[in-house]
Amino acid sequence: MGVSAQTWLVAYGAALVAVTFIHQPTALAALLALTVAAAGPQRWRLLKKTLLAVLAFSLMVSVGYVIVSLWRGHLDPDYLLLANLRVLLMVFLGFWFVARVDVLAALAGWPTLRLVATLALGQIRTFERIVADFRLAFESRNIARPHLTARARNAAAQGIALMDKSVASATESTLAMKSRGAFDA
Amino acid sequence: MHIPDGFLSPQTYLPAYAVAAGAWTWAARGLRERLDETTVPRLAMLTALAYGLGLVMVPLPGGTSGHALGVALLALIFGVRSAFLAYSLVLLLQSLLFGAGGITALPVNALAMGLVGGFAAVTAKRLLTPINETAAVAGAAWLSVVLPGVVVALVLGIQPAIAHKPDGTPLFFPFGLEITLPAVLLPHLLIGIGEAVLTVLVWRYARSRKWV
Repeated sequence: MGVSAQTWLVAYGAALVAVTFIHQPTALAALLALTVAAAGPQRWRLLKKTLLAVLAFSLMVSVGYVIVSLWRGHLDPDYLLLANLRVLLMVFLGFWFVARVDVLAALAGWPTLRLVATLALGQIRTFERIVADFRLAFESRNIARPHLTARARNAAAQGIALMDKSVASATESTLAMKSRGAFDA
Repeated sequence: MHIPDGFLSPQTYLPAYAVAAGAWTWAARGLRERLDETTVPRLAMLTALAYGLGLVMVPLPGGTSGHALGVALLALIFGVRSAFLAYSLVLLLQSLLFGAGGITALPVNALAMGLVGGFAAVTAKRLLTPINETAAVAGAAWLSVVLPGVVVALVLGIQPAIAHKPDGTPLFFPFGLEITLPAVLLPHLLIGIGEAVLTVLVWRYARSRKWV
């Protein structure tokens, strides 16, 4: 019998809390190496995704810390290692959890949250599809880069279509869910 | 404005989870009665919009990141309780799918952006509506960005004081209030203007569809 999605959720939460109680960079580095190794064949894809997700923010904090520390005359390189390894490990754990577990199944204990999450995720996909459709259609109608006014008009039309289509699609999903008893007490 | 995982001490996020759990329970009470086949699609659409807005973020040196929220729209159309829940869901999804924000930071982010932002929007709208409705919506949206910015800056800025090594080296977020307050707040004074414009446009859309 496999481990349930909710058990993975609890394990993920516990791991995150535990990581925030570790303040030795070497221990965090070892845990990160262990976690990356345990992630299986998708480890490099997940690591790349993690690095891209944390890069901008971690870089800002690290550079800011170096500047402020040098200005104050006391720089602790251990802090840079500690903060960056911790952030990397925690975000990697999150991406690994999502890659391994169906998030909606993990929310099974909270039916209302799962209902809204299902619809919101559906809307996010709808948004992505509509934005891509509009961009391609707009590009296909214009050989040269259009004037700012035309782009603004397109953006406005896209915004309204986005909301109308999104509500229509969510209504469809809601009615389907209602017919299956999702709104029953 | 999202605080990512790894920058808040357990002394901060564990009590914050206790407070947020109470707030989530309060917000969820009667939710089933408030949701039906008309309101759910609208809530889902605006939740997805808030999700998209929150992902267009600019890193702020000495702070976290700057971005629009969309929480004012949720609060003005559905009320603070539903907005708080919906925005908490937005933060959860952004954190899991994009690594924006975090699970340990979720209660602070949710309380700041979802609850304080939602309350700020509804209160400002109520106070300003007698003067002019458009100005009230714009003011509500602006405040819904600026006040959470203050909360986030305060929470980040106290980290070096509450979690550090014996020699004073920080263990979590490294900058004090003298850096976080201006770093987070000043850009959000401007971001609030963008949020206000966007909120007024979507508010007019909602009016034209007779949602409000």
